[in-house]
Amino acid sequence: MESLLDFARGPLFRLCFTIMILGLARILSLDVWAIYKAYRKAGDKRMPWKLILSRAWEWFFPVKRISRNFQMYSVISILFHAGLIIVPLFLLAHIQLWKGSVGISWIALPYGWTFSLTIATIVLAVSLFIGRLVIKQARLLSRKQDYLWLLLLLLPFATGFICSNLNISPQSYQFFMLIHVLSGELIFILIPFSKIAHCVLAPLSQVVCAVAWKFPPKTDDDICTTLNKKGAPI
Amino acid sequence: MRTNKISDEERIKAFKLAKKPEVIEKQKLNVRYHVEDFDVNDRPRRFLEAFAAILKHSNYRMALDHYSRVVSRCALCATTCQIYQATGDLEDIPCRRSELLLNVYRRHFTLGGLLKGRISGKDFLTDEKIQEMADGFWNCTACRRCTLECPMGVDHGLITHLGRYILSEIGIAPRALVVSTREQLEGASRNTSAIPIPALKDTLEFLEDDMLEEKSVNIKFPIDVDGSDYVFFPAVSDFLMEAETLMGIAAVFTATGDSWTIGTGYYDGINYGLFYNDRIMERIIRNVDEETDRLHGKNVLIGECGHASRTAKNFMPTFCGGKDARCVVSILEYTHKVWKEGKLKLDPNVVTEKVAYHDPCNFARQRWIVNQPREVLKSFCKNYVEMTPSGENNICCGGGGGTVSIDEIRPYRTTVGGKLKADQIRKSGCDILVAPCANCKKQLRELVEDQGINCQVVGLHDLIYKAIIFDDSLIVKKEGLIFDKPDFSSKEEN
Ligand code: SF4
Repeated sequence: MESLLDFARGPLFRLCFTIMILGLARILSLDVWAIYKAYRKAGDKRMPWKLILSRAWEWFFPVKRISRNFQMYSVISILFHAGLIIVPLFLLAHIQLWKGSVGISWIALPYGWTFSLTIATIVLAVSLFIGRLVIKQARLLSRKQDYLWLLLLLLPFATGFICSNLNISPQSYQFFMLIHVLSGELIFILIPFSKIAHCVLAPLSQVVCAVAWKFPPKTDDDICTTLNKKGAPI
Repeated sequence: MRTNKISDEERIKAFKLAKKPEVIEKQKLNVRYHVEDFDVNDRPRRFLEAFAAILKHSNYRMALDHYSRVVSRCALCATTCQIYQATGDLEDIPCRRSELLLNVYRRHFTLGGLLKGRISGKDFLTDEKIQEMADGFWNCTACRRCTLECPMGVDHGLITHLGRYILSEIGIAPRALVVSTREQLEGASRNTSAIPIPALKDTLEFLEDDMLEEKSVNIKFPIDVDGSDYVFFPAVSDFLMEAETLMGIAAVFTATGDSWTIGTGYYDGINYGLFYNDRIMERIIRNVDEETDRLHGKNVLIGECGHASRTAKNFMPTFCGGKDARCVVSILEYTHKVWKEGKLKLDPNVVTEKVAYHDPCNFARQRWIVNQPREVLKSFCKNYVEMTPSGENNICCGGGGGTVSIDEIRPYRTTVGGKLKADQIRKSGCDILVAPCANCKKQLRELVEDQGINCQVVGLHDLIYKAIIFDDSLIVKKEGLIFDKPDFSSKEEN
């Protein structure tokens, strides 16, 4: 078990992490490249940067964006995202691992904070899961993966919490730690190939929207030629 | 979630089909709007062909790729859509509607989808799916309000726009819009209301007489004046239905002395292309540009109309010269500018009723024109009230996206589409509702009538016309009021 854990924490982690970074880089560059190509083709090059930036900014701190009608659901979702980013990134134990292996470190959140944030994130994930089930609009739209993702994201949080806060036997500790690490790694691998890619793509949505409304200058002619509609009456 | 559902009675009224079963059978299409007969064979293949051609020559692929990757199906958009709020039908949730097209895109135009489709042999585009799209995309008013609510920034209005575009390429588009654009682009009158030039001139002459009588000022509608600063393109229906708005605009120009003109070569600002077909939109924009060229005008001036202003403003540079394209000004911007410069004096004692302002989506959603008309209004309407939400978050009148021009769906528009708006108007308690958009005005008038709301719907310039104070030098002495016929052949500007 121990060697397996070492393997999972060491080479496997590096592999998965690299896959995630490369995958996200790929998807991000594809997106940016597509935006650039569309922009090149567009007849109108003016860009409403003020609007784009202000709307993108609003979504970074979506206080203004809390849905009036789905208040609870919306707040839960926002907090869940915050927990999802903050806990793994600012957990002392994680930072220490980074320091030990690559030598970089950054400020960590105090123990009490990460403790409560972890619990909060778990509760929020469960509530979102329930939300998707009980809100009829959300239930209708949800695909299998939307539920599975919540469960998968829950796993490293729950196991991480068990390992760092509960008094358990070393064997159980290793077992839960292994699940913690492996589930985290599975998430890493899946991120670039799933809807979670929105973590890097969503900030571009406002630019996408602005550029998508900019059309190439000769649409009529080109499409008529392709569809054999030249000179056809309306 | 709070919904604001319509009653069962209203539902029956709204969804009553105006079409005969034989027509539905013949057209193999069960939608509320009338469609011209089209080739019903092989629709899916032709849909895909049109889709492919459009993807090839447009920028939509970029957006579809992006949206397919990020959609999270959170359902937050359901809370904003006025259609879903009214019907409560799950098909009307914006994200769900957009998925109709995104699914076709994924299945037929992405590598993964093609492979998956090959293996499973499922999910082909079918006639039923086309039927669903033909229904769904014309239920939506393309107001783009849901876009603000979507955490992923998916522009459902854009998808509706694209969906309608592809459908129209295979012949599925509301007949009302197609017939109008046909007249505009291929007919003798060259405008959507088929107003011939003599009738236009008569109308304007008549209005000039009226204004002289009412205001004792020689207010003119200059026709075909070469080299004007502004060539004016209102929604052409204004000549038939919005005389007061036009009179207000003419009055503003008389007060400022700026040069403007209406060209008899082409005088329609309406661009239904925005609602159903980009190719049509391009042709119409080019007409506007050519007419301005012909008259050696400096700027294009669009009348009180949201979609006409937005299309001209956004797409003139696209189709007519990029950054060298001529400047497009909305009359709201112009009036606000001259008011700020102190060239426009408005009497604060004329309009005493409770006035509210309705933001046309095409002005406000992108934060383009939100405060300008409000500032002008507040300066002379003492009893101004604000409706909430407003500005970029405004609620659509319910007739957006061209649906207002489809008369046969009026019951749908005034019970479903405009339900939230009607509630909002009622709540504001306004006597006068200012809506500076030809489409909004028509819809809102029908809405208040059908919903029994006691409120008058007008344009911004209707009120300006009432309250405008002219310089003494412009006032014609009483004895001069022996109505000489205004001289239209004159090239001089008054
Ligand atoms: S664009 Fe407007 S009408 Fe259409 S789905 Fe969105 S909110 Fe509803």
